[in-house]
Amino acid sequence: MKKFLLLISVVLSFSFVLVGCSDNDTTEPGSDTTNTETNSDPTLELYEIKWYAIGGPPQDLDLVLDELNPYLKEKINATLDLEFIDWGEYDKKMTTMITAGDKFDIAFTSSWAANYIINAQKGAFLGLNDLMDQYGQDMKAVIDPAFLEGAKIDGELYAVPVNKEVGQQSVYVFNKRLVDKHNMDISTIQSLEDLEPFLKMIKNNEADIEAPIAPFSPYLPFDYILQEKLPFAVNMDGDQAKIVNWYEEPETMETLKTMHKYYNAGYIPADAGTNENATYDYQVENWFVRKEMYQPYAELLWQRSGNYELVVQPMHDPITFNNSVLGSMHAISITSDNPERVMMFMNLLNTDPFVRTTIDKGVEGVHYETLDSGKIRDIGTVRSERYAVPTFALGNHFILPLYEDDPEDKWESFQTFNDSSINAPTLGFVFDTDSVRTEIAAISNVAEQYNKSLMNGAVDPEKYLAEANKKFKDAGIDTVIEEMQKQYDEWRKAQGK
Amino acid sequence: MPKKANNSSLTLTNGYTPYGLKGISNVILSIMMAVFSFICLFPFIYVIIISFTAEESLIRNGFQIIPDSWSLEGYKYLWKSQGQILRSIGVTLFITVFGTLLSVVMISLFGYAISRKEFKYRRLFTFLAFFTMLFGGGLVPTYIVVTQFLGLRDNILALILPLVVQAFWIIIMRTFFIRSVPEAVIESARIDGASEIRIFMQIVLPLSLPAIATIALFSTLTYWNDWFQALLYITDPDLYPLQALLSKIESNIEFLKEMKLISGLQAGITIPEDSAKMAMVVISTLPIALSYPFFQKYFVEGLTVGSVKE
Amino acid sequence: MKWFKNTLRDLYANRIWLMFVLPATIWFIIFSYLPMIGHVIAFKDFRIHRDGFFASLWHSEWVGFKNFEFLFKTNVAWEITRNTILYNLVFIFLGLFLAVAFAIGLSLLANKKLTKIYQTGMLFPHFLSWVVVSYFVMTFLSTDRGAINSLLSFFGVEAISWYYEPIYWPFILVFMAMWKGVGYQMIVYLAAIVGIDRSYYEAAMIDGASKWQQIRHITIPMITPLMMILTIMNIGRIFYSDFGLFYQVTQNSGALYDVTNTIDMYVYNGLTTLGDMSMTAAAGFYQSVVGFALVIITNYVVKKVDEDYALF
Repeated sequence: MKKFLLLISVVLSFSFVLVGCSDNDTTEPGSDTTNTETNSDPTLELYEIKWYAIGGPPQDLDLVLDELNPYLKEKINATLDLEFIDWGEYDKKMTTMITAGDKFDIAFTSSWAANYIINAQKGAFLGLNDLMDQYGQDMKAVIDPAFLEGAKIDGELYAVPVNKEVGQQSVYVFNKRLVDKHNMDISTIQSLEDLEPFLKMIKNNEADIEAPIAPFSPYLPFDYILQEKLPFAVNMDGDQAKIVNWYEEPETMETLKTMHKYYNAGYIPADAGTNENATYDYQVENWFVRKEMYQPYAELLWQRSGNYELVVQPMHDPITFNNSVLGSMHAISITSDNPERVMMFMNLLNTDPFVRTTIDKGVEGVHYETLDSGKIRDIGTVRSERYAVPTFALGNHFILPLYEDDPEDKWESFQTFNDSSINAPTLGFVFDTDSVRTEIAAISNVAEQYNKSLMNGAVDPEKYLAEANKKFKDAGIDTVIEEMQKQYDEWRKAQGK
Repeated sequence: MPKKANNSSLTLTNGYTPYGLKGISNVILSIMMAVFSFICLFPFIYVIIISFTAEESLIRNGFQIIPDSWSLEGYKYLWKSQGQILRSIGVTLFITVFGTLLSVVMISLFGYAISRKEFKYRRLFTFLAFFTMLFGGGLVPTYIVVTQFLGLRDNILALILPLVVQAFWIIIMRTFFIRSVPEAVIESARIDGASEIRIFMQIVLPLSLPAIATIALFSTLTYWNDWFQALLYITDPDLYPLQALLSKIESNIEFLKEMKLISGLQAGITIPEDSAKMAMVVISTLPIALSYPFFQKYFVEGLTVGSVKE
Repeated sequence: MKWFKNTLRDLYANRIWLMFVLPATIWFIIFSYLPMIGHVIAFKDFRIHRDGFFASLWHSEWVGFKNFEFLFKTNVAWEITRNTILYNLVFIFLGLFLAVAFAIGLSLLANKKLTKIYQTGMLFPHFLSWVVVSYFVMTFLSTDRGAINSLLSFFGVEAISWYYEPIYWPFILVFMAMWKGVGYQMIVYLAAIVGIDRSYYEAAMIDGASKWQQIRHITIPMITPLMMILTIMNIGRIFYSDFGLFYQVTQNSGALYDVTNTIDMYVYNGLTTLGDMSMTAAAGFYQSVVGFALVIITNYVVKKVDEDYALF
């Protein structure tokens, strides 16, 4: 046994020697604070910007970068090395790279992949306030202020949000063929209860449709904190200064009762909440109503894949939530060697139509062509096959050219949508989980246990809501809400509310 | 080496073995085995049927043994990316063959040494190997070793090296060496003046063919099935192994299920249909599963060689 | 000094063997022992530093056992530990029994062609990912379209909402685990049985021993060391669970948590919101330490009984 210990200590000391070496390799003396070499011209040396983006890697990426790089070189003496990481792998890979301290400049970040708040709090991203004032004035002027304010953590911005629809609006989407066939007036629908007569009609008359509802979680008037399924929220119809367990609110019970009624009546597929594999794609008309997040003209997008018409009925006015603000952003890594240049690039990305269009649509004449009207058209299927990238995750939407079949007022509609969006009560409030992590881990497990089946109407809320709330209590929800309320009060005070 | 054949060489001629069961108990046992292997095979048949089912029929009816409508769409989808798939098959074959060879060499050397009583430090090294089974290095430190110390990002070695050795296999190998190599054979070879290396190569290895086939099989399966190293270390599509392609499809689907905030359409995520996914499963599974008889051959050969030896 | 000299001499005397173990030892140091530094994260409040991982590790604050608290300070701590251990015990021992039984069974079959086919068939589940398997299980257990419910309704029995009924799941999970693993585990035993010297059986047959007696007195004793060692190693993994089995196959159905929540599930479900590296590392460290302790104890006991069967 003695020798085992000896061996282990040898190995460990060996490894620490290596650690020491690598430490020396990378540490520049006195580099504890971030780069502050501001006196010399930051564009003096050619710099290559490494950008990790989310999405399936497109084949023609190199072609596009070759088109873009001479332009960038001329403008800011930098070149771009863009790399796409596939959807399902992005979060895991980015987390690994960030933790390992890999060197890169820009990373896609959001509330749903490579989590913005977690990484910013961990110190992975550079604070951008000063940099933006210095090198990003142009984009600061064009990005919706709700984005820039909502994304701040304790007053500091850690990533540049993609300028697009700022609010979230849940809508019901109906299959228009069925709506017309049965002469339905869907504009009367205000709430989940209002759906009932329509559901009944479809259930009784359309043999083809097993269940009229494509499973969804009903809309509830809460401004969720941390995550939708976790029991922390502000009731937007109630006291906006108070954090509540939304599972305990009367609206929840009412809505879930309706869901359960629908489930029992066969309006919701019996497997809802347990069949993760079931698909309700637009391709197949096996549904009557579903729930989606809206943006102007989204129905055109949805329609394209199904080849049949849809109608949309909103559930509420657009609301700017934390999650909708944090939906798509770009952060500068703490490991970046030249944040100034990176900021200059981001500035171009959000204000220069050539840069933005090339990254989004590819090379003019290869992937798309410009029409006399100024609109664009894809050339054959080249773009869809060789350079299909996710527009929403790449930069400012409003400087992109329109497609020939896009509505003329597409970006204006976005603008109107954004202007009409109301700020949610907790917009900009970031909860620091540090002191209550143990409780949150336990509460997350309870939420995971009950959320899906309750929200899909599969179980009786009278029984299971009570059960869930009891377990939330046991898991320490009171401690968390108390801490949250404390931080929320402080934040509101600072906001002058 | 003694070349004389003994009377047991009559085994395994014409598929008859005197050690097997006869008559009714053989039939019963046969049926039991048949049932279980059918249960094991059935999902794969199901995968094959889905790969030929029309998507519309899948969405409406779910899986059926005999679908409403058949379709070749799944395979057509794969055909479109045949270049990538062929390259990936090449990568997978390379890492599997090369990795398995390396693995067998390193494992049998180590396993043999710690099986020998003459080796003073055998317990120490057994423990050294065993300890790693329980305390794995974390994901991030391993990532740093591979990318920063060894500099293997986007290098095919990054798909091979991290999986070469597994303590589990070493321990199995050691057990086999202890059991199946008669001490007397080694002793007599030593007296003849053979070096340890020669004894290992010319006597021990041939005697241990079943064990080596086992380890080679495990290693082959590991390399063939691995996608995680590719996720971490490979960005160049020319170096994607087959399973990495499949896992990308799977993880993208998982991701879409989790992500309700942005619908797939808005995000422009295209997910291949179920039939295409299952076609991918078929293509990535069938070759390796069918290579199993190759290893089986060595189990049987090990038997005959072993019986010649005594 | 003498100790040093002796060691040098010993090292020299064992130089051949040291050469044998050298390649794999280097591998272990690089790929296993170096990365073990990562366990330190479990005791730190991990923050990113711009100079890379080691700087991050160095500058992060020590927090003692704080990251471990979430594993114990929860009212389901007992439940998840119980589930993990019970499932693993069943998996280990039932798996051992089935693997050995199938290996012996296959080795006894007269028709070697069929044997090969069966064996290949049994290995197939190993190739399917749990995601694909979960599709397949769903076709049986789906409430409205599932094969089993169709069968039940054929006999006039009421349909069962399988994914909401915890009582069935221990059996389903054990069945699926065996289904997926036995073919693979069996290979080792089959190789061991095939490697047994035939002359033992010949001698036994001359003595008129029945097949059953041959199995009991030759086959089983010959593979017992292997069984022992594999079991000891499996015990080291007793605090881990196959995440895919418990998460994918059950469709992560909350109604089943009483019987499906294991340590790995709890850690996954609990930490996705927090994204806390240190707590994840703490869970891994805890699992390793318990496994390590159990293996040492088991090995000690086995060694007392019969030195030959012990791992080290």
